[in-house]
Amino acid sequence: MTEKIIEVNSLCKTFKIHKRATGFKGAVKDIFHPAYERKKAVDNVTFSINEGEMVGFIGPNGAGKSTTVKMLSGILYPDSGDIKVAGYIPYKQRKEYVANIGVVFGQKSQISWDLSPLDSYEVIRHIYRIPPKKYKENLERYTELLDMGSFINQPVRQLSLGQRMRADIAAALLHSPRIVFFDEPTIGIDVVGKDKIRKFIKTLNQTDNITMIFTTHDMQDIEKTCERLIIIDDGKKLYDGSLENVKKGYRSSRIIEAEFESLPVSLTLPHAVISNADNNELKKLISFNTDEVSVNELMTALMNTHNIKDLSIREPEIDAIIRDIYEGRIVMN
Amino acid sequence: MTRYLSFAAIKFRSKMAYRFDYVLGTLHTLLLFVVYWSIYKALYGGASEVDGVTFSMVTTSFIISLGLSSAFEKNEMFLQDKIKQGTIANELLKPVNFKLRILFEDMGEGSFNVVFNFLPTAVIASFFAELQAPCSVLHIPLCLVSVILGYIVLWEISFIVQSWSFTLFSVWGLITIKNVIINILAGAYIPMWFMPDWLRNAIRWTPFDSIYFTPVQIYLGELDGSEIAFHFARQIFWIAVLWAVGEYFWRSGIKKLVVQGG
Repeated sequence: MTEKIIEVNSLCKTFKIHKRATGFKGAVKDIFHPAYERKKAVDNVTFSINEGEMVGFIGPNGAGKSTTVKMLSGILYPDSGDIKVAGYIPYKQRKEYVANIGVVFGQKSQISWDLSPLDSYEVIRHIYRIPPKKYKENLERYTELLDMGSFINQPVRQLSLGQRMRADIAAALLHSPRIVFFDEPTIGIDVVGKDKIRKFIKTLNQTDNITMIFTTHDMQDIEKTCERLIIIDDGKKLYDGSLENVKKGYRSSRIIEAEFESLPVSLTLPHAVISNADNNELKKLISFNTDEVSVNELMTALMNTHNIKDLSIREPEIDAIIRDIYEGRIVMN
Repeated sequence: MTRYLSFAAIKFRSKMAYRFDYVLGTLHTLLLFVVYWSIYKALYGGASEVDGVTFSMVTTSFIISLGLSSAFEKNEMFLQDKIKQGTIANELLKPVNFKLRILFEDMGEGSFNVVFNFLPTAVIASFFAELQAPCSVLHIPLCLVSVILGYIVLWEISFIVQSWSFTLFSVWGLITIKNVIINILAGAYIPMWFMPDWLRNAIRWTPFDSIYFTPVQIYLGELDGSEIAFHFARQIFWIAVLWAVGEYFWRSGIKKLVVQGG
């Protein structure tokens, strides 16, 4: 049994949001009587992560995953609940703690806009007091793995987004952290770039046993890198378990996409859920489980009662599964 | 500590890259000095002293206080911008004391400006204006120490006002007002000697005169040994008090920090 490196217990965080009134009258009223609204960004979240694990945090925009990561990395103070990472309480022992972690924000570059990545790394070397030998080793290794040789001396403002992201990832890893948080690292990056980043992250997790937490809403990111998945929506934890398990629950689930000749009336089928597809009234999605009803049975029932123009059967995609979980169509435990 | 000194050194070196910038900086300080020098030259109207204050004392006071205030100008929107854009998150991820790091970086920039902006201005001014030599060779290092301590006092006042951006989000107006108040009360615009007694007595209870006026007094030899020690102690006292106040605002600020965007 490997050691637990991250322990989070009933974590909560509420933000006060200033509700701005519209129009001139509203703006005047706002000055004297501002209205606030409280929003629970993280609501009673509990989980633990073992050393060397690679965990994907997913959830729609505003679900609270970035807020959770910011609390885990010691930037934000939680309202209540306990966090313990690598033996530290992040928000209390911030200065000592952050030497053990690396954070990559997809939306906020950590390296200086005016300097080249190499110059920024020099500053990082001083900040983290990285021994010269280790610094040189890490730098050479990441330059090669992330293929940065061609742009390491160029000012950051001249780099493409993909290049900058790779430079940012290297910056977060130079001090050999034990835990790395990736907050939407592939946002806005093309397919080839995404793939390079995913491969690098996976390699590093396997060879260096670095614990990694990965937030994203790109399911491909998760499928290609993580084994464990934590799904968060509306501040609450909806699912915590293996990616395999999510898929397994859907292994025998199928969807029939059927286009009817005329508007279907009284369409009811045994053990199947019918929903509309793409605004086309003639098109319906029929979801069912092959354990409960066979394809044959269902097709016969369908063909006997309606005239079908076109038809296809497919497995649900991971995106769709997650969407089902978000929208509460299924409850995972 | 060596780590923080290296922050100052890095900043000092990176300032070197903008050569055009410091030529203009020198010009700015020189112009500022010439304006005040001419006004007071007219006010003196050829008299050698007014109220026991010689014209060369006034010119020297101006070169020190105006020159330093211009050399110590820095980006005071730093914290506000970081909070607004959410990049404060990156600062909090570094395993260093944020305040100390910024102080040292700013001292790196400040000492660069002293060497490449203040000193050239003083040298050029010495050709046309009536400047006094330091009271003795020993007074040069003493003056330097009081300049550094004075800088820290100035920096801390700025940090306190900046740290209000955690709650106010926009502190530009406050910073502008603060700078005017400091420049008046610290004697950069009107030498302390010409202030009414009640004001001078009031200022004595504030940190403002320890910013520029203490170095001026030491340079001119207005203070004897024990008085110099007392003024150093006073500067250190204000540094300690203001540090604690700044720490309080900083700590309560990051507690309610909302990292905006993403």
